[in-house]
Amino acid sequence: MLALEPEIKALIIETMALEDIQPDDIDATAPLFNEGLGLDSIDALELGVALQKRYGVVFNADSEEVREHFASVRALSAFIAENRKQ
Amino acid sequence: MKLHISHIAAYAPGLESLPDWQRWAAQSSPPLPVGDAVPALGEMPALQRRRLDRAGRLALHVAWQCQPQPEPAVPQVFASRHGDVGRTYRMLEQLASEGSVSPTQFGLSTHNAIAAQYSIARAFTGNYAAIAAGTATAEAAVTEAQGLLADGAPAVLVVVYDEPLPEDYAGFDPQPQAAYAWAVRLVQAGPDDAGFSLSAEAIDANGAAGDPPVPQGLLALRFLLSNAAELVNHSGQTRWRWRRH
Repeated sequence: MLALEPEIKALIIETMALEDIQPDDIDATAPLFNEGLGLDSIDALELGVALQKRYGVVFNADSEEVREHFASVRALSAFIAENRKQ
Repeated sequence: MKLHISHIAAYAPGLESLPDWQRWAAQSSPPLPVGDAVPALGEMPALQRRRLDRAGRLALHVAWQCQPQPEPAVPQVFASRHGDVGRTYRMLEQLASEGSVSPTQFGLSTHNAIAAQYSIARAFTGNYAAIAAGTATAEAAVTEAQGLLADGAPAVLVVVYDEPLPEDYAGFDPQPQAAYAWAVRLVQAGPDDAGFSLSAEAIDANGAAGDPPVPQGLLALRFLLSNAAELVNHSGQTRWRWRRH
């Protein structure tokens, strides 16, 4: 699962058009939204679509667990490692 | 109503400063701006700026130049004939090839999205409008501004911007294409202020103005920058007349 982290970071930077941010600048344990990287709810949707395309993972938008999966790069990597279809 | 320009700014590739534009406007036949340069828009935080494509960067660059300090009580009129058409086109391409659209692109594809991004970045919670009116887009924007001033606004920011149509759409607009934006901060002219007025009258037939050398919106800018006494724009069954006072 740790091996996935750089990949997820690169995907976030590309999908969110984060100018001037390198994968190493992102702390894998820091919050992705609001105070951490500063991403917002539109980014959450966008990231969900990108992860679905890349890994075939499906998120249930209503589930409380989604909040936990999207908490940080580390949490996302763990979820994808377990649930990826491609 | 007589209008006075308190601030003016314009940008196109190769024409980045006001003196550039004054030289451009003084030519007998000003050339069509060409190129892909885009303003850096350093005023805007990177996290917000990433949401803007060329049209948005052009528009917000000139808007910011006319409002270096926040003025929440000043309404804004954003006017563009084709809007963020490059974004819409790319979104449709993605829909055709992948069967889905990006939520971000979709959210930003409305005509007022650029005005909204400005209001978010400047923390303005007041009135803004986003309009499109064919070849009379600049005229419609100034008309809207006159209404707002008559209604008591202390000033109105008018932002006019466009970018070239994607190649597949080029045949739908016979006017020359260019990426440009200009903004004027308008107030009601006092008795001693230099100013201009804009009026419209109905005409019987579609007035054929011929093919202008630059987009109609740039002819309006040229009038505002020059000492010309008058500019007439036929658009459909309306004759617009800009007059200097």
